[in-house]
Amino acid sequence: MDNRNLEKALEIFSCLVKGEEISANKKETSSLYEEYTDNSQVYDIVKTMCKKMNLSLYEYKDTLYLSPGKSNRVFGYSNEELKKEIGIRLNRELYLCYFVMFGVITRFYSDTSSETFTEYVRSEDVIAAVDGMLASTLKEINLMSLDEVEENSFQAISGLWEELPLVVNEDAISVKASKGSKAGYVKMVFNFMEKQELLLQNDGRYYPTNRLRALIENYFDDYKGELYSLVKGAV
Amino acid sequence: MSGEYVLTRDIIYDHNERMLNIRKYYPYFKLSEMSFRQYKEGQFDNIDMGYILMAVLRFFIEKNNFNEEPVTYEEYEKFMSDILTRDFAVNEDEKTCKELIKFIFDKINNDGRPFVYEYFNPVEKKKQSLRLKLIDAKIVDETIYYTITSDAVEFYLDTKEVRDESNITIEQVLLGKLISSKNFKGGTRVARRINSEVGRLLSRKNEVLSILSHDVFEGVKVYEEFNDTVVKWFDDEQKLFSQNKELIEQALKKAESESQYYSAMNDIYMLESELNRAITRHGRLLSECTDLQIKADELIAKAKFTSLRMSFDFQDYFKRLKELDRADMLENIIVPMLNLKVPKQFDIINIDEMLLYRPEGEEKGEKIKDEQLKEYVYEDELEDKRIEHNYRIFMGILFDMMLKNDNFTLSDAEEELRKNIGNSFERNGDWYSFMVHLCQKKQYEINLLSEHPDTFLEEIIKNYCKEVQKYQGLKFRIESTEDIIKKPDIASISDIKFVVGDGETDG
Repeated sequence: MDNRNLEKALEIFSCLVKGEEISANKKETSSLYEEYTDNSQVYDIVKTMCKKMNLSLYEYKDTLYLSPGKSNRVFGYSNEELKKEIGIRLNRELYLCYFVMFGVITRFYSDTSSETFTEYVRSEDVIAAVDGMLASTLKEINLMSLDEVEENSFQAISGLWEELPLVVNEDAISVKASKGSKAGYVKMVFNFMEKQELLLQNDGRYYPTNRLRALIENYFDDYKGELYSLVKGAV
Repeated sequence: MSGEYVLTRDIIYDHNERMLNIRKYYPYFKLSEMSFRQYKEGQFDNIDMGYILMAVLRFFIEKNNFNEEPVTYEEYEKFMSDILTRDFAVNEDEKTCKELIKFIFDKINNDGRPFVYEYFNPVEKKKQSLRLKLIDAKIVDETIYYTITSDAVEFYLDTKEVRDESNITIEQVLLGKLISSKNFKGGTRVARRINSEVGRLLSRKNEVLSILSHDVFEGVKVYEEFNDTVVKWFDDEQKLFSQNKELIEQALKKAESESQYYSAMNDIYMLESELNRAITRHGRLLSECTDLQIKADELIAKAKFTSLRMSFDFQDYFKRLKELDRADMLENIIVPMLNLKVPKQFDIINIDEMLLYRPEGEEKGEKIKDEQLKEYVYEDELEDKRIEHNYRIFMGILFDMMLKNDNFTLSDAEEELRKNIGNSFERNGDWYSFMVHLCQKKQYEINLLSEHPDTFLEEIIKNYCKEVQKYQGLKFRIESTEDIIKKPDIASISDIKFVVGDGETDG
């Protein structure tokens, strides 16, 4: 193996793992991107390293993106770490955040190859989407008394969501991230997704980033079988 | 004041230029007003002259500019005959048709006279007239040929962006006409328009690529349209660019000899530099379009490949989770999209250093110093020593009291301790632990316990009494009392009584 190629591959991998973007459109990283795309040995080394570390690497619009996949003990977040990152304490709060994030994603994509052509989402769109999704979900499941439901059930997160007022005070413009209201919850999720480089905010409008598009359009198709087998296994 | 000045200037001084721009529309409106009601008793009243005019102009552009050939009357006649039959269902005899076609031709040519557009010139304060023609006639070898004028081309282009054709080509046709008619200023304006059109196409190319990467079906449509209006015209455009450049070079040569051209020298230079800029940018557009072709092919191939595999349907997956009622499994969708969590303890660059690390060929031995082994005392050993030391002090005082008295209480013993060692023992835990250990047994006989010490304390007593012989043979027992010894801020403890020997207690 050429020592120079190994060095380049390590440089690319190290940048990616550190969360730096490798893109043909950036002056500082364009040479690394070229190495990755044009030098087959560098490409192979980087791909092998990613595979061995249980990471998925995707190219989208001349930029490389890494995904830790699911259940990655080294690079993935544990539930506790996620709760800390988002700013919540309970599991059912985390599941509600997952639900809100799912609501945001499906505003942009119905499936991995069909965009909805929604350019951006606002807080009120997401609240309405979550309201609607939860209402339709509850119609389809057998309802039990709230004391009996499991914390990971849709009824539990629906109960949590329904208890929340829309906003804490009337001034909806200056909504702060909090667990005290629906708008606060959505803001909390937006902040988290922005921090995770999945959304970009401009004046209350949240646009999907290329990172979000890259992962949606690639990851789920690659791991579709595995994701469905998890559902089957949970029956 | 300045506002008023600007207003007046706009009204008066710009008026002339506005009229020059408007005049090209004048023939259209004049012709479209024309009615066929008076012609042949209104037999052809359904014919729309506006539509006819636009069709004729387009026909002339096609022949004159795209195919670079003039139009003969016969060609016009055939074209018009087709239009009348197709669009207005004119199915008259040949003679009537020919008359009608000639009538229309005369109208378009304004009976051979230019169209005159009159307007008031506010600068010179008098009426002025502007003339323009739509079609020019030339006689070559006894045949009359017709060509479209630059005004007519400009008018046609202004009415709509020609989607099926390249705008650059049409603008260049116009440019050629303007250079031939020595309108170099107008030519510069057209060259600028070509430049901005090239700029628009450059950004359009990026849009096409973006649409292709998002939605390949929509992208392919846009890409094909882009190909039709841009890429396939490159050859023609480049040919026209070189023709126009040649025309400018000729104009420059003429400018050196003919005074008529000389006065327009600056305008020609400006036109030349604008056209050069357009040619350079056009070259860039060509290379960008080649790049687009490569990328589009890749994206289409990728889309074909991905269309073969089923895409992941979020709603379907969500439906399965609903059936299971497992909201927590949404984690499978969310977590893979998060960033990598990088623990900060280890710099990843170190992997690089580790892999590139070369150990030295020969290992160096470690020097071992000859040092003497030191005895190490552990903390609990130190503590044991301290406890034994304190217990010996308490025992010495207590046993001495036993030698002197038959019985005494704990309070008496504490009083004796105070006299000998001060108050500090009261705050020393060892005193209380000593008493606790001592009270574990009711009776003590030093000689017996020296042979078989039962407790930790008896072991210490045994060692102590071995050293201090006067306590050998000492016997005592412990009796409880009902008194309480109160120690403010420390504790309250039950008093006890030490009875020495086999003697009876006082009460």
